[in-house]
Amino acid sequence: MSRIIVTTSGKGGVGKTTVTANIGMALARLGRKVVLVDADFGLRNLDLLLGLENRVVYTAVEVFSGECRLEQALVRDKRESGLVLLPAAQNRTKEAVNPDQMKQLVADLTKVYDYVVIDCPAGIEMGFKNAVAAAEEALIVTTPEIAAVRDADRVVGLLEAQGVKRIHLILNRLRPAMVQVNDMMSVQDVQELLAIPLIGVVPEDERVIVSTNRGEPLVLAETPSMAGIAFDNIARRLEGETVEFMDLEAAQNGLFSRIRNWLFG
Amino acid sequence: MTSDSVLPDLVTSVTSPASETVNSDIQVRFKTEEGRLLLILPTEAQTFTSVTNWNDLWQQMKQRLNGGDRFWQPQTPVHLIAADRLLDGRQLQAVADALSEVQLQLKCIHTSRRQTAVAAATAGYSVEQQPSFPALNPTPTPQPIAEPLYLQMTVRSGIEIRHSGTVVILGDINPGGIVVSNGDILVWGRLRGIAHAGAGGNSKSFIMALQMEPTQLRIADFVARAPQVLPEQYYPEIAYVTPEGIRITKVAEFSKSQFLSKP
Repeated sequence: MSRIIVTTSGKGGVGKTTVTANIGMALARLGRKVVLVDADFGLRNLDLLLGLENRVVYTAVEVFSGECRLEQALVRDKRESGLVLLPAAQNRTKEAVNPDQMKQLVADLTKVYDYVVIDCPAGIEMGFKNAVAAAEEALIVTTPEIAAVRDADRVVGLLEAQGVKRIHLILNRLRPAMVQVNDMMSVQDVQELLAIPLIGVVPEDERVIVSTNRGEPLVLAETPSMAGIAFDNIARRLEGETVEFMDLEAAQNGLFSRIRNWLFG
Repeated sequence: MTSDSVLPDLVTSVTSPASETVNSDIQVRFKTEEGRLLLILPTEAQTFTSVTNWNDLWQQMKQRLNGGDRFWQPQTPVHLIAADRLLDGRQLQAVADALSEVQLQLKCIHTSRRQTAVAAATAGYSVEQQPSFPALNPTPTPQPIAEPLYLQMTVRSGIEIRHSGTVVILGDINPGGIVVSNGDILVWGRLRGIAHAGAGGNSKSFIMALQMEPTQLRIADFVARAPQVLPEQYYPEIAYVTPEGIRITKVAEFSKSQFLSKP
């Protein structure tokens, strides 16, 4: 039974696409057949983050219009053969697609793939409706800021009304040091408000920017990073494994003390 | 905001006399009547201010269904009161599917529109076609207060619950969520959004919450916002109108004082 998951947030810039790319890659590395669907028609990014931009020939819109077959539009990842991408059109807008088309498309994909992960555009308009139409589960991505959390809350309400019952929370770009001095909302603050189960906390990590620019998802990096481990853990939790949440504060203290030791030895 | 001592923090003002009579007719409603459940859709005439399209209606209906799903008796027949709203076969099917998810059965459609009647009959539902309702005659006679609305849900940002009776929410009202009632509002959870009790003008209405941290409280024509400084500990509190504006007291103390003040 394949799983249809939408990554969504309401607010833009909180890391939906980064989360989609990394979790998709992590799931593929766990041996799953994964298709990532970029539902951000008109403003596609997912191909860039995966480093697959130059392999895109056809897009979902051409599939809808019958100009190509679905298999032709799918771009296979160069590193993990279990991962494919269905790119969005760059030259159309979100109105070029309707929810029924998306449902049909996703239904076709579930015949082949274990995971269909849909990267939802920001906002709650047509693009959102298209992206969530076929979804059975949702990953809500938010950062610990009130604006992002407020929008996430709105989106959870809309998903619940849509009948999407399995909703999990990913808290992205957390800075444990700021939480410690009460300058940032904590995991508990966010969870208390949204009242949905937490599936992962991803710390702020500069290497995310580097990996985005290179088109190399963090989970592929040879030297593991905190964010990369967090994404890996989310993928394993999706698979049903029980993985302890990382102790981000301890990790950070550890790093500090290590540097101190190294400096003042 | 734990007791009267912080009253100065509670900024209160009187709004311009709003002519808003809270009329729950502009939202989707469920009503039990003689062993059947009525699902009442707002009429076209009532909705151009708030709910304009099918999508919004649909969302409201799902929210109300989910919010009350512990209480529906399985296989209760449902009568859809569509009035002058135009519904096609697909929309009727969508309603029937949503109802069957919570084990309710769509049985009958009440409508004044011929197309809706035809669609319903084609889909195999019984149809009661009434002549057009006397449109646009809002009866200005005082309406008796409606029965309470009990919902188990989180009122999330963007969700608005309007009801012409008392509203009981088992769950939180999050920032950005709003509950408007002609009667009292009881929140068995955290109130962080906006609550408007006695919206029809009854300033004797109360707002109660286990944890009172509202964006704004409104009772009848009075408005108050929460103090900037949050209390260290929360108690169940009650908001009510005094000649000085809206006040908040611990529930325990409030009931005591109510008793003592009675002659």
